[in-house]
Amino acid sequence: MGFRTAVSTSTGLAFAALQYLAAAGLVAYVAGDSAWISIGVAGLLALLAWGFFGELNGMFPTAAAIRRYMGQAMDDRVALSITFTYLTTIVLVVAADAFIVGAALTHVLHVPTGLTALWTLVLLGLAVGSNLRGVKVAGWVQDVATTLVLTVTTVVSVVALARSGTPLHTPLQPFHHRSGTDFVESVALGIFLYSAFEWVTTNVEEVRDPRHIHRAMFLAICILFAVCAVMTTAMSHLLDHGQLTSPYPQLPLGRRAFGTAGVWLMTAVTAVTAVNTFNGGFVTASRFLYATAREGSLPPVLARLNDRAVPWVPVVVLGVASFFVAVVVEVVGGSEWQVLVAMGAALEAMIYAVAAFCVLRLRGRLADHHRPFRVPLVRVLAVLGIVVFGVLGVVASVSVSNRFDPVPLVIILVLGAASGVYTVRVVPRLRAAELERRAAVRPRRRPLPGGSGPGTDAMADPGPAP
Amino acid sequence: MSDVATAEELAEAYRDWRVRCNANPRLAKMLRGWDRTVHLVTSDTGEGYTLSVAGSVLGELRSGLVGAPDLVVTATSEDFTDLFWGDLNPSEKYLNGEIVLAGSSEDVMRLDAMSMVAFLDQ
Repeated sequence: MGFRTAVSTSTGLAFAALQYLAAAGLVAYVAGDSAWISIGVAGLLALLAWGFFGELNGMFPTAAAIRRYMGQAMDDRVALSITFTYLTTIVLVVAADAFIVGAALTHVLHVPTGLTALWTLVLLGLAVGSNLRGVKVAGWVQDVATTLVLTVTTVVSVVALARSGTPLHTPLQPFHHRSGTDFVESVALGIFLYSAFEWVTTNVEEVRDPRHIHRAMFLAICILFAVCAVMTTAMSHLLDHGQLTSPYPQLPLGRRAFGTAGVWLMTAVTAVTAVNTFNGGFVTASRFLYATAREGSLPPVLARLNDRAVPWVPVVVLGVASFFVAVVVEVVGGSEWQVLVAMGAALEAMIYAVAAFCVLRLRGRLADHHRPFRVPLVRVLAVLGIVVFGVLGVVASVSVSNRFDPVPLVIILVLGAASGVYTVRVVPRLRAAELERRAAVRPRRRPLPGGSGPGTDAMADPGPAP
Repeated sequence: MSDVATAEELAEAYRDWRVRCNANPRLAKMLRGWDRTVHLVTSDTGEGYTLSVAGSVLGELRSGLVGAPDLVVTATSEDFTDLFWGDLNPSEKYLNGEIVLAGSSEDVMRLDAMSMVAFLDQ
């Protein structure tokens, strides 16, 4: 993987279809024409997170980095619980993307809204099917898809603004008719616009030069700021409240730029975002579940491979879970997808705060460890990161559509508690059973010194699960 | 047993693994179309080995780093030897950072599949 693909991967993973809704939500409820300022502040905070991930990924240049640095910085059970909770972000984003693309198709084809579930099923079915067949989007396809999405979104936004013929209302007044709390909420939502830029760290073993990952993440944040700032400015200036709160605000924006052709163009672009999201989401999550099952922390069934060496159970589980979430959002109706945005923003802020904590803790615990990149003023910046991202996470988790709504927080707490109970109660039993079974099923095979046949001593480090 | 496996010990373990892999029909299916060159680097003895897969068949272990690798695996000589005997779980070692990989995630999965399916037809 070259530098260009690393940039497109980082940017493409962050720029899901849900970003259109998150940007519109930010405009509709909190920031108005000054939304770009909130996005800029969120971008600066994302740069802070970039510093944390840069240091941690440099220390542990592996796809399993999150397990390694969290395992070193805190109790393994806590680390595992946080990781499982964080994984739900992937399900949320995949589910939301499938729903949004389905809703957009329903809208442009003028068919009954009930068909959205069908489109969602077809999209997720295609994603699951291609994953099970071991199809992986080639690097150049990802480059083209991401470039296309970002370019078309920017051009549509700029053309729509140019055609409006009216100046912006309050482009430099984030507090115009707004309170400080509104601004904080908008920054919390803004964090979501950058979410998943760090997923590219799982590709570190594939890049020609590990430093590419660090630089790619930086560039991705800059690109995301530019595109999201232009897009939200255009949305705030040109779309009405109903359009901003619909599940497809990008379509009316396309209409303002290029008429009906613009609607189709943005529909196509929305569908293309799913290529990156589904590819990155399914591959990242399913491989993580597989590795965790192989480690003995998840049921062995999740480590089953099909004839193409794909962990088929995690792929199917992710597909079914995503479909379930998408259907729930559709059935509940209204603007319930904003709950997904709030949850995504809160979980992302949480993982940034955890990264800040890990950086600080590992400076003490692994002081001599090689660090290609070091966060400067770490005591100040890491503590700042923990506090700021912690507060933003809490704010995001109780703010839906600019009103107090604890639903996202409750869901996150339930997920976190379930992960915690699983880790504390189930994982030790799973690991013990696994060790017992391995030892019973197959003794150590390596010949003992001086002997010619296999040994029979119990294994200190037993082999793979049956 | 010493903490360092000799080249002979490693080669013996590999021979056993190779026979086991090539005799496994499921693995043959799994490796269809996966023709790759893999470099093995021992972190403790500083030696290099090359193995290749062609036509679903695992080739002989060659001493030295031959050709351009699709995947590079770095581990101690002991871990390589135990891995080939099926006495350790490479995923566990990988998650602990004791086995280091450089290559695409798909190639990593195939290699892990080889270590798992060769011993336990899962």
